[in-house]
Amino acid sequence: MILKSITKFAARFFCCTLSLAACGQDSLGHRVPSITMSPPPIADVARGKANSVELRFHVGQDFHVNSNKPAAEYLIPTTLKLDPPTDIVVGRITYPPGQEMSFAFSPDEKLIVYSGSFAVEVEVRPLTSVLPGKYEIRGNLRYQACDNAQCFPPKNLPIQFEVRVVNTPRPARKNPGQSPHVHT
Amino acid sequence: MKRDPVVVIVVAMVVSLMLVFGINLVRRGPGEKPPSGPQGNNGMAPDFTLQSLEGKPLRLSDFRGKAVVLNFWATWCQPCKIEMPWFVELQKQYGPEGLQFLGVAMDDASEKDIADFAKDMGVNYPILIGKEAVGDAYGGVQFLPETFYIGRDGKVIERAFGLKGRGEIEDDIKKILGPGKIAQN
Repeated sequence: MILKSITKFAARFFCCTLSLAACGQDSLGHRVPSITMSPPPIADVARGKANSVELRFHVGQDFHVNSNKPAAEYLIPTTLKLDPPTDIVVGRITYPPGQEMSFAFSPDEKLIVYSGSFAVEVEVRPLTSVLPGKYEIRGNLRYQACDNAQCFPPKNLPIQFEVRVVNTPRPARKNPGQSPHVHT
Repeated sequence: MKRDPVVVIVVAMVVSLMLVFGINLVRRGPGEKPPSGPQGNNGMAPDFTLQSLEGKPLRLSDFRGKAVVLNFWATWCQPCKIEMPWFVELQKQYGPEGLQFLGVAMDDASEKDIADFAKDMGVNYPILIGKEAVGDAYGGVQFLPETFYIGRDGKVIERAFGLKGRGEIEDDIKKILGPGKIAQN
């Protein structure tokens, strides 16, 4: 009974330690930032229409990345680039506005950043010629992360998500106007 | 079913080891100074030659006899931008005592952009165009800013990861200046 408890505890502790290590550490034990993307559900996208797909990203704890419109000229913005299949058009990409923050040593210098989770909306427009079915869209998210005292070189996160192209839904039929006359 | 006592002992040892390892991991944080000096050089700062923004080759060992602050930075690094004005002031203040700042730009930006950036910041010390090989010689320079404080004898005395306070930077400068000799040019 005791052995079973010890074994269970050891297994859980081992998993916790592994997940701590998975947060990323370099050879000197410094934490390395990362962004991950939640796998999005397969979105139904109608042919010939603009459809919105939401991609959700998560910034590692204690890190932040510049927003798509950073506060200063030299800062590297977070940018999503997609390479869709032929006849599927990626239109507008809408980024969230970001939050203001500043470093403790320079409280007057404001940065506009993403931290925690943030979502990017992608407009997907399959042409009417596209056959219905699943299609994969690939690309990458370019970002540059910092914590409260140091910054890490720009990185690319490979992106892939699926959409299911469906027929354009027929518009609802309007009932024809009822004649006021009674027909016999 | 009877359990082997050896298994119990092994499990207990593994748990203890993991506990120690886990506590060690949690205690480490960003900005903590590692053991000083790049590896495998008896503490000597690896020598290098890099091109300055003026197009001249500059060799680190040419500054032997001076106390050198070797700062790796980039235009996209906001903490680097915060500490640069302090470096400019400290270069003015301690330059006559033999202090020399050297900035190594680890950037994808063009030389013109780096030069414009340095000019806007009022940088009064050489800016060198960095190369990956030089970063590797200094342990990889995985994040910025990273600063090495090199004594007059060419040995790395301190190393700082990330942004530090102005006071801490000045303390490290005093360490490498030593007992106040003015360097012979």
